Amino acid sequence: MRCTLSRNLLALGLLGAAASVAAQSDVVDGPLIRSAVSSSDSRDLSGVWYIRLYNRQINSTLGRLPPFTAHGKAAWDARVKAEKDGSPIADASSYCWPHGVPRVMNSPYPIQIIQTAAETVIVHEVAHNVRHIYMDQPHPQSIVPSFMGDSAGHWEGDTLVVDTIGLNDRTWIDEVGVIHGKQLHVIERIRKIEDGHALENLIRIEDPEFFSEPWYARITYAWRPDLRLTEYICEENNRNMPTNGHTAEK
Amino acid sequence: MNKSWLPLVLVAGAVAVVAGAGLARAQAIYNPPPGQNLQGVWLIQADHSAIRTLEGKLPPMTAAAAARYAAALRSRRAGKPVFDTIQSCKPHGFPRILFAAYPIEVLQEPKQVTFLHEIHHMPRMVYLDMTLPKLDDMDPNWMGLSVGHWDGDTLVAETQGFNDLTTLDAAGLPHSTEMRVSERIRKLDADTLEDVITIADPKTFTKSWSTRVTFRRQPGRRLKEYVCTDSNPEAQGLPAG
Repeated sequence: MRCTLSRNLLALGLLGAAASVAAQSDVVDGPLIRSAVSSSDSRDLSGVWYIRLYNRQINSTLGRLPPFTAHGKAAWDARVKAEKDGSPIADASSYCWPHGVPRVMNSPYPIQIIQTAAETVIVHEVAHNVRHIYMDQPHPQSIVPSFMGDSAGHWEGDTLVVDTIGLNDRTWIDEVGVIHGKQLHVIERIRKIEDGHALENLIRIEDPEFFSEPWYARITYAWRPDLRLTEYICEENNRNMPTNGHTAEK
Repeated sequence: MNKSWLPLVLVAGAVAVVAGAGLARAQAIYNPPPGQNLQGVWLIQADHSAIRTLEGKLPPMTAAAAARYAAALRSRRAGKPVFDTIQSCKPHGFPRILFAAYPIEVLQEPKQVTFLHEIHHMPRMVYLDMTLPKLDDMDPNWMGLSVGHWDGDTLVAETQGFNDLTTLDAAGLPHSTEMRVSERIRKLDADTLEDVITIADPKTFTKSWSTRVTFRRQPGRRLKEYVCTDSNPEAQGLPAG
């Protein structure tokens, strides 16, 4: 599936080093190169970013579980129990489907942001997910629900605000058991922090079917100019392919 | 405050406000030179399911490659194209994905040209700030690794580092891990994109050869979500039908 050697080679090319491949691994997987910062333009989010403090249970700003409705709590309990019983309920990624929003923003793989006047694109290494965020345009009148939904973006000062609706109900919000329905409405506020060393995403999550009130998750990403995205093909060799809706070890 | 300082303070303040507003409003949107601007959504214009050379001929295969190609054609005719990776939602590989009848979005940055293929939501990056590693140092994959540079208004891209699980087209034209793909991509006019593709693969072809494909601009079109595994029982390990 994904291969670290390719990444090392890519970093080799980026850094212009003539060192051997073996010697490069320390550079790539080592500490962040602090001398390199994202550009001084506060609206320039372009480049490669890598999640910090990844937590498979998305980091709620409440410091505890989201405010579930009874329906949301039952879904959580069922998933936690199934995992404890050694037969996890399969999520979208187990089927090689797109991870959905906001789940795809909480993945331990690099992401790359590309900006044009009309669009902000996020390419995710994990499962070659791609997000299209159309700038300064309203959502289309009619939206067919999809894994990644429909995202409309605009700037509020130096914060990129991304409004996402039109999500289907087949993705999860985290990897443990917080799930959602088709009423999910996600608003992300994305901005550079720490003098351009990091990106912050404050995510507002609203779905009256699963949550009694809107709640927030906060994720930060490190600026990683030393990385390039490598090829990740879930479809090539999926050893987690679910059986009857449960992930089975194969 | 000494009144004589006031005008200076006001000017300094105004400069600070303007500069601050400028910083806050500034957005790093790269505008390529008009001739080099390939951005937009494009759609292939003709059927390239069985590619031919610029001269309209079958590419010059070695005897072993010709035998593989004939076997692929037979399996397609028999309705069981086992060679075809996309039957199980695996990638088309490069350059076959260029020939798919689905839109491609091109995004440009100073150091990278990105091709987003609607089919399989597959991205391809062409890095303008690096050279290709030696083939022996690369880990083969489906799309290879692409680097490029501008030759006037033509984007010249070189790609290698492929596995040998894919074919060059739907018909089943084979290639090896030693394939190198060179492209010359340019606009013929505002709404037409041309890609002249040269294939060098001494294990498969007796000499290098070229083919050509053109794309038509799709104004206002957005890439749709294409999820092969959502509709393909074989890829999901589920019973068919």
